[in-house]
Amino acid sequence: MRKKLIYADHAATTPLSDAAWAAMMPFLREEFGNPSSLHSFAKKPRDAVSAARATIAACIGAEPEEIFFTSGGTESDNWVIKGTDDVLMVSAYEHHAVLNAAASEESCGRKVVYVRPKVGGYLMPETLTKRWKDGVGLVSVMMANNEIGTINPIKTLAEAAHKRGALFHTDAVQAVGHIPIDVRDLGVDFLSASAHKFNGPKGIGFLFIRKGLKLKQLIHGGQQEAGLRAGTENVASIVGMAAALKENCDSIEENAAHLGVLKDQLLDGISSLSKEVHFPGSKFDYQLPGFVCASFPGRSAEGIVHVLDLKGIAISAGAACDSKNTHISHVLKAIRLPREIAEGTIRITLGIENSEEDVKAIIGALKIALSKG
Amino acid sequence: MATSKECQYCHAELSRDEIGLSKKLFESETKKGKYSCMQCMSEMLEVPIDDLQAKIEEFKRQGCKLFG
Repeated sequence: MRKKLIYADHAATTPLSDAAWAAMMPFLREEFGNPSSLHSFAKKPRDAVSAARATIAACIGAEPEEIFFTSGGTESDNWVIKGTDDVLMVSAYEHHAVLNAAASEESCGRKVVYVRPKVGGYLMPETLTKRWKDGVGLVSVMMANNEIGTINPIKTLAEAAHKRGALFHTDAVQAVGHIPIDVRDLGVDFLSASAHKFNGPKGIGFLFIRKGLKLKQLIHGGQQEAGLRAGTENVASIVGMAAALKENCDSIEENAAHLGVLKDQLLDGISSLSKEVHFPGSKFDYQLPGFVCASFPGRSAEGIVHVLDLKGIAISAGAACDSKNTHISHVLKAIRLPREIAEGTIRITLGIENSEEDVKAIIGALKIALSKG
Repeated sequence: MATSKECQYCHAELSRDEIGLSKKLFESETKKGKYSCMQCMSEMLEVPIDDLQAKIEEFKRQGCKLFG
């Protein structure tokens, strides 16, 4: 008998929702027209892209013309970082899509200021102020961290940046579709998102660019996306992304409540397994729903992940080894987690399809892994 | 390939793959010199030996040097 598989790695990716799949289907076969064409085959795809843009905009409190479709969070982040010229300020625990784009700019002579988050795993406006340098024109701080799940106070961070004349970008890849977002209320200038993190398809995302702002073009070619991002639209994925986001946003409180119950059970269960367990990011009040980061000092996170995998449970590790060394993630380093604790750090990210039975199975498997590993 | 190490439970002589898998799954035990054979690991984890073998093959494909 095939063992039941439990997926608890939703920060890595999420399953495609039925709504997204159903919305995509027509555009994978019969409605194959190119939205840019002049003939009637283009009408339905063009209308669908337009409707998707409006749906996505409504989900985050933006205007449709402020939404630009991209290939995902990585492209959106790269576009913002490389589409500006001024001194750049980024947090040290950003996703590599931001950090490596910033490093690439740095290698071309651009000045980049890195700011470390607090030990609790979040960033406060005074940290930006203390590290401020003349000429900073863009600040990039992620809305929610992908390894420890902490949610940053984006509104006050954006205010701090604006007060000093800088624009503010947030990589909201982990947050969109999981917590309420209103770009006007937050006051952000740019916001990156990726569909596969909210039950949409892979290879599609969007960038919010506040009306009136301009970025240098990243991808050159045709006149798609108001002439700012070239390439024939990925119609099916755009439509699927909109359907998935709308479904998630329509039930955002219900989903958060369900995940909150599961998260509490998981935290209780894990706490009962080890007196030494740490929960990085959990001391800060704001953490993503269903997100548990747990550290078991002296244990190997990779070993725990493999044991759980053998038990049919998918989670992830904050440290991984090659034949010689264990590599600690840059996030755990940035929050100054001691090596012995960081090496035993796992991430369990629950999704809406997870159940209380899944949580019990995860705790049971962790008990076996920790009893030996 | 047999080695000089033995299983902490049944004392069977261990292969390089069994030592490698013990290190991968139960690192803190192996630091104390405690290793397990496939049979004992299978019973302990309540997973089929075939699944453990599949894991070993996966590690080998990834180029992990712990395995033969």
